Amino acid sequence: MAEIRLDDVAHRYPGAAADTLSGVNLVIPAGEAHALLGGSGAGKTTLVNLLSGLQPPSAGTLSFDGVDVGSLPPRDRRVAQVFQFPVLYQSMTVAEVLAFPLRNRGWKRAAARERARDIAGRLDLTRWLDARAAALPLFQQQLVGIGRALVRPDIALVLLDEPLTAVEPATKWQLRRAIRDVQRELGATMVYVTHDQTEAMTFADRISVVHDGRILQTDTPEALYNRPAHEHVAHFIGSPGMNLLQATVAGGTFRVGDQTVAAARDLGDGPCTLGFRPEWAALDRDGAGPVATVRGARVLGVEAHRPVGIVTADLGGQTVRTRQIIDVEPGDRVALRVDPARLVAFRDGVRVATVEAARA
Amino acid sequence: MRRWDNRAWLGVLPVVLIVAFSAVVPLMTVVNYSVQDIFDLNNRLFVGFEWYRDTLRDPRFLEALLRQLGFSALVLAIEIPLGILVARNLPRRGASAGVWLVVLAIPLLIPWNVVGTIWQMFARPDIGLLGAGVNALGLDFNFTADPVDAWIVLLMMDVWHWTSLVALLAYAGLAAIPEPYYQAAELDGAGRWQVFRHVELPGLKPVLLIAGLLRLMDSLMIYTEPFVLTGGGPGSSTTFLSQHLTTMAVGQFDLGPAAAFSVLYFLVILLLCWLFYTAVMRSEDVEGGPGGH
Repeated sequence: MAEIRLDDVAHRYPGAAADTLSGVNLVIPAGEAHALLGGSGAGKTTLVNLLSGLQPPSAGTLSFDGVDVGSLPPRDRRVAQVFQFPVLYQSMTVAEVLAFPLRNRGWKRAAARERARDIAGRLDLTRWLDARAAALPLFQQQLVGIGRALVRPDIALVLLDEPLTAVEPATKWQLRRAIRDVQRELGATMVYVTHDQTEAMTFADRISVVHDGRILQTDTPEALYNRPAHEHVAHFIGSPGMNLLQATVAGGTFRVGDQTVAAARDLGDGPCTLGFRPEWAALDRDGAGPVATVRGARVLGVEAHRPVGIVTADLGGQTVRTRQIIDVEPGDRVALRVDPARLVAFRDGVRVATVEAARA
Repeated sequence: MRRWDNRAWLGVLPVVLIVAFSAVVPLMTVVNYSVQDIFDLNNRLFVGFEWYRDTLRDPRFLEALLRQLGFSALVLAIEIPLGILVARNLPRRGASAGVWLVVLAIPLLIPWNVVGTIWQMFARPDIGLLGAGVNALGLDFNFTADPVDAWIVLLMMDVWHWTSLVALLAYAGLAAIPEPYYQAAELDGAGRWQVFRHVELPGLKPVLLIAGLLRLMDSLMIYTEPFVLTGGGPGSSTTFLSQHLTTMAVGQFDLGPAAAFSVLYFLVILLLCWLFYTAVMRSEDVEGGPGGH
């Protein structure tokens, strides 16, 4: 397994007017489970193709363990890939599929078979070894694909391109756990591409949020959630995403419209965007604070015999969502209560500082 | 409560009529002729399977059948691999791909007797570009006198005429193989042969089955082109079943034997196509075809 390093990597398709990827800097330590998270068209697939070697970077350097691999063809990169749907050779048994990458690299038949058997054991595929791979259920087919990716002991990087797409929803988490377990066991460096934040957050040690051909932020799931570096990340992660209110800093307070939302020190006066998660705030019937009007509520569940869910309210023309006990009704005039310590402020789309940091 | 209305049977009538006119009536006419000796409208004699026995014992029929099988086998053996080879080397996209497809389609659009005429002229040992050219090289070539030469020209003509069909079908089949299969093979370090063997061939199986069946059926029925090119000669060295049949039915008015011949001919084609289909499908069961996901 290798440390993967991208320095200022860019890619532009031949004849295209703009870069599909630009200014990508990323270091993935050996043995890390890393996720690339982003919507469609964000540039995830291009990034994966750069890593696998299907496309060359137009600028910047790409290195595995310090060795520049940017110009190496895919077969010489020690990279393996698991695809969206099972891509297995139709005529081969599971054992043959697993041994195929080894045999192509000069392994003796017996040694390749031994290694294939070992990998199959780790993925709970032993009893399928002599079955035709393409005839297995989709779940096992995808496991075979993962086994094939992991079978070479010298593999530097395993790419997983939305590997749960083809699998039934009910078994997605099982497959994800199987991948995660074998990743830990073998200490494989993995890059997992997905548009699904839950998949990314439950799989990865660290996540890179890809948007518009750039990596906006690379961080642990917790950090992405609590301290998004970018408005897009704040909005994209979480369901619903962060509240983002157009605000101004004036005289040491955050103001939305003519109402003071919270104290803000040392940020400097001027416009900013104020971010907070729905569960960091609540709308109270009685209490002091900026006044909002409740528009509606969506019950998500019941806690301690009380309905809990998302309350939507109007604050000076902007929408605020909170996750709380639903004890308010549409039309109610309520006070917004926010945990000031967790407020995040953005200027020009980028986090300035949390209020906490600004206070320090 | 369910009510029965027998008028519903009328709904089936159009289909029954179409099937009757397209298949049953003509076929039964032939079957009818094949078991009778007919002199004129009022004088006929039921002869049972006599015509069939005669036909099966007729050395000319058996020779024509052997020739026919040999021809079809050679056609398949040359055109299928050649068609795959052509398809693999066509550009996958871009303007040149379209041009190539049009060029390939041209032989398929030429009427069969024109194809025969073209090759008849092309291969003439006196003035034909091919025939005269080969002779100029010092080789003795005359397809009107030498059976081997006649077969060579005949096969070249069929290959020229029909390989395009296999190539176009194979091209479509290759285009349908998802790109990740090639990517996976590349990452797995597979060589060219392995990509062909494990990715392309399984992906091509359904279209190759169709291409093989079409070429098998067509080659078993071949008539016009050898008729124009060699007239079945020299001797009867390029006389295939259909030409033999025409000689009997139209040339000699042996309607009874011709009818028996026709039925046997039809059964041979049916049997061979069934065998071909079964053989390919069985190998599919063992090795698996594409579309497994």
